[in-house]
Amino acid sequence: MIHAKTFRHGGLRLAQDLPWTGGLPIGNAFLPVTALIPLKQHAGPAARCVVQKGDFVREGAMIGKGERGDSAHIHAPIPGVVRDIRRIRTASDGPVEAVEISLQGSFDRLGKRVERYIWSSMSRADMFQTLRDRGVVEMEEPGRPLGEMIASHERCSFLVLNCVESEPYIRTEGALMSARGKEVLDGLAILQKLVSPGHTAAVFDVREEGERASILELLGKSETSVEACFAEPRYPQDMPNQLLAVLGSGRAGATPKDAFIVRPSTALAIYEALVFAKPVMERYVTVAGGAIKHPSVLKTRIGTSIGDLIEECGGFVDAPEKLVVGGPLRGQPVFSLDSPVTKLTGGILALTREETNRRRTEACIRCGRCLEVCPERLAPCELFRFIEKRRYGEAMANGLGDCTCCGACGYVCPSRIHLVEAFRFANKAMGAAK
Amino acid sequence: MLVGPAPHIHVRQSSASLAWGTALVLSPAFLWGLYCFGFDALVPVAVAVVSAMVGEALVGLLLGNMTLHDGTAFLTGFLIGLSMPPGLPFYIPAIASLFAVCLVKGAFGGLGSNWMNPALAGLVFALLNWPTEMGTWTWPRHMAGVAGISGATPLGFVHSRILAGSQSGDALGLLGAAGYSVSGFDSGVTGFLNNGLFRHFGVSLPSGYIDLLVGNKAGSIGELSGLLLLAGSIVLISRRMIRWEIPASLLVVFGGLAWVFGGLPFGNGFFSGDLLFELCSGSLLLVAFFMATDPVTSPSTRGGMLLYGACIGALTFVLRQFGSSAEGVAFAVVIMNCFVPSISRVELRRRTHSKGSDRG
Repeated sequence: MIHAKTFRHGGLRLAQDLPWTGGLPIGNAFLPVTALIPLKQHAGPAARCVVQKGDFVREGAMIGKGERGDSAHIHAPIPGVVRDIRRIRTASDGPVEAVEISLQGSFDRLGKRVERYIWSSMSRADMFQTLRDRGVVEMEEPGRPLGEMIASHERCSFLVLNCVESEPYIRTEGALMSARGKEVLDGLAILQKLVSPGHTAAVFDVREEGERASILELLGKSETSVEACFAEPRYPQDMPNQLLAVLGSGRAGATPKDAFIVRPSTALAIYEALVFAKPVMERYVTVAGGAIKHPSVLKTRIGTSIGDLIEECGGFVDAPEKLVVGGPLRGQPVFSLDSPVTKLTGGILALTREETNRRRTEACIRCGRCLEVCPERLAPCELFRFIEKRRYGEAMANGLGDCTCCGACGYVCPSRIHLVEAFRFANKAMGAAK
Repeated sequence: MLVGPAPHIHVRQSSASLAWGTALVLSPAFLWGLYCFGFDALVPVAVAVVSAMVGEALVGLLLGNMTLHDGTAFLTGFLIGLSMPPGLPFYIPAIASLFAVCLVKGAFGGLGSNWMNPALAGLVFALLNWPTEMGTWTWPRHMAGVAGISGATPLGFVHSRILAGSQSGDALGLLGAAGYSVSGFDSGVTGFLNNGLFRHFGVSLPSGYIDLLVGNKAGSIGELSGLLLLAGSIVLISRRMIRWEIPASLLVVFGGLAWVFGGLPFGNGFFSGDLLFELCSGSLLLVAFFMATDPVTSPSTRGGMLLYGACIGALTFVLRQFGSSAEGVAFAVVIMNCFVPSISRVELRRRTHSKGSDRG
C-alpha cells in the first residue's frame, strides 16, 4: 500500500476520466536538418542576436546574448550556417526574433569524449556565473533564468525537487527520473550548495509499487540527504501551493515564497552546465495525445520543429483537433507544425475531438462544479460574473489574484466557459492599472 | 486545426447533455403514466413540450440567440406535462409552459439568469389559475374506479379528511374506510415480502403501500411511480448529473418532521407519523430529485445546498399539514427560490473568508 499525501481543497482525479497509461518509451530524436531557434525562451526580454546571416556557428556557440538579469543566453543546438533571421511565433510568445541554422560541419560534443569538471571545488560565484553563461533557465513556463531564481532565494528554507506530473499525458519528468535519475540528483546537490536550504525534499506521484521501490533505491544511493515524499495522483498536485501542502504546512517556511522548487529537467540542465560545461541545447519532450501513433518521450535538440517530432512518433493516426505545447490543462495552443521546441517545451500533444470534448460556450448554469474543484478555494463562476461586467476590483476582492490558472474549473465546466482566459485577462488588466 | 485557450481537454458532460440526459432518465416514469392513462397522459405532455419549445424559439428569435439545442426548454415542458393531472384541458399545459419559458426564464435573460425554477413556476401558475381542473384526478385504466374518492389522490383525500377534522386511525385506514381498494398486485407483493422477509424481523407491512410506491393510484402523470423515480435518481446521482445534497437534506428533514409530528392530526401522539405514506404520495419524489435540483435556481456550494434542501423539506411539511392544498412541495421550492441569492452571497463570503484563515 502506498501512503500518499495530498492537498486539501478541490482538485481533479483525472484517472477517473482518462485511463492511466503508465510510462512512455524513452528515445533520442533525430538531429534536425534545420533548427529554428527563438531568441526568447525565458521570462524576460529577448536575447540580443549576436550572429548574422551567412555566419558559421559551432555546436553550443552563443547566438543570442541575454543582457538583463531576467533574460538568458541562447546557444546554437547544432553546428551550421545561419540561413535566416526572422520573426516567428512560438507557443509562449508572440512574434519574436528567431535564428534559422542549417546543419553543416562537424559536432564538437556529440559523439566525443567530454571533459568532466569537478563542481564541488568550484566557488559559489563561479557556479553562479557558469549557469548564466550556459543559458540555464527553469525548464518550464515562464522560464525564469536560474541565476535570478537563486538570487531571490539567497536564504531559502526548503529545496524541493518536483517530480510530480499531475497533468495527464505528460511523462517528461518521470522518464527523466528513471533514465537520468543519478544526474538529476547531482544537479540537486549542486543547487543545495548554491542556495543552502534548511531541508531538501523530492516529491513523486507514484502509481505503482515498483516505481516507489526504485525511487527509494535511487535516493538511497545518492550522497545528498533528500527526503522522499509521495503524493496522490491528483491534479494540480504539481503547483507550488499544492506541492508544499504535501510537505506539511506545519513546517516552517512551507510557503511558495521561500521554497525553491525545481523540476528534474532543470536539475539536469544545471548538472550538465556545471559538470560538462554544456549550454542548454537539448531537453526531454513528451509527444503524446490520441492522434499520435506511438507516444513517447524524446531527447530533442532545441529548435527541432514540432512536426518533425510528431513524425518521429509515427505521425498522426487520427485527425488532431488541437495541437498543444505543454500539458492539456495549462499548455499553450500552437498555430503550426513548424513551431520549434524551446527550453520550455515539456510536451507536445495532438488531441483528438474525443479528447478535447470541445463544445460551444453556453450560459453559466450555476452548477457549482467549478467551486468544487478549485484548489485555491475561489469561486470561479462568481469571479467570471464580475469580470463579465468589467468589475475587476470586486473580482480582485474575491481572490482573483490567487488564481494559479490551473484550469481545473475550465476542465469541468459543462457550459465550456473560458474561465481561465477571463481570469488571465482580468489579472493583466488589473496589473496594468496599478 | 483549432486554436483556443487552455484547458484543452474537458469532461464529457455539457449543459445540454445534462438537460437531455435528465429528460431521458425521466422517461420511464412518463411511460408508466402513459400505460396508466393512455391518450389522457400523452396530450398534456406533448402539448407542454411543444409549447415550451415554441416559446423558447420565440424568445430566441427576439433575443437573437437560438438555444433550443440546449434541451432546457424541452426539459421544462416535459416536467410541466408530467406534473399535470391526466386528461385536463390542453390549454392549461400549453399556457403554463409558455408562462414558464417566456416569462419566468426568457424575460430574465434566458438560461442561467432566471431566479425561479421555470417548471415549478409554470405548475404553480396552473394550480392558482385553474384549481378545479388541476384538482380533478382519474384512476389508472387498469384499476377499477373507487366510488367516493375517484376525484382525489390518496394524499389529497387524506389531507381533506384531516382538514375536515377527522381524528381517527391513520392515513391508510382512512383510505380503506372510504372504500379505497387495494390491487391484487399489492396484496401479492405485500404477502410475499411479509412471509419471506419481514417475518424474520417480527414486523409486517400493511397492504396498500406497494400500490403507492409502484404507482397504482391517482396522481399526476409523472409522479405516479415512486419506484421509477427513485431508480432514476440513482442514475442522476451516480452519473453526477445532480448533486446529492439537495434531495438528501430535503427528504431527511421532511421525513423527520413527518415522522415526529405527522401522527398528531390523527390523535396518535409524537413519533407516530406515517413516513412511507408521506414519502410515496404526492409529487415529493419528482420535485425532490428532478426539480429542486435545477442548478440555476439552487445554491452552488455544499452548505448552501444542504440548507436549501432542508428549508424546502420543512416548508413542504408545514404546507402539507396546514396548507389549503395537499400539494406543498411545489410551493415550497418556489418560495425557497427567493432566498437562493441570499444563501449564495453568505456562502461566498464564508468561502472567501475561510480561505484567508486557511492559509494562516
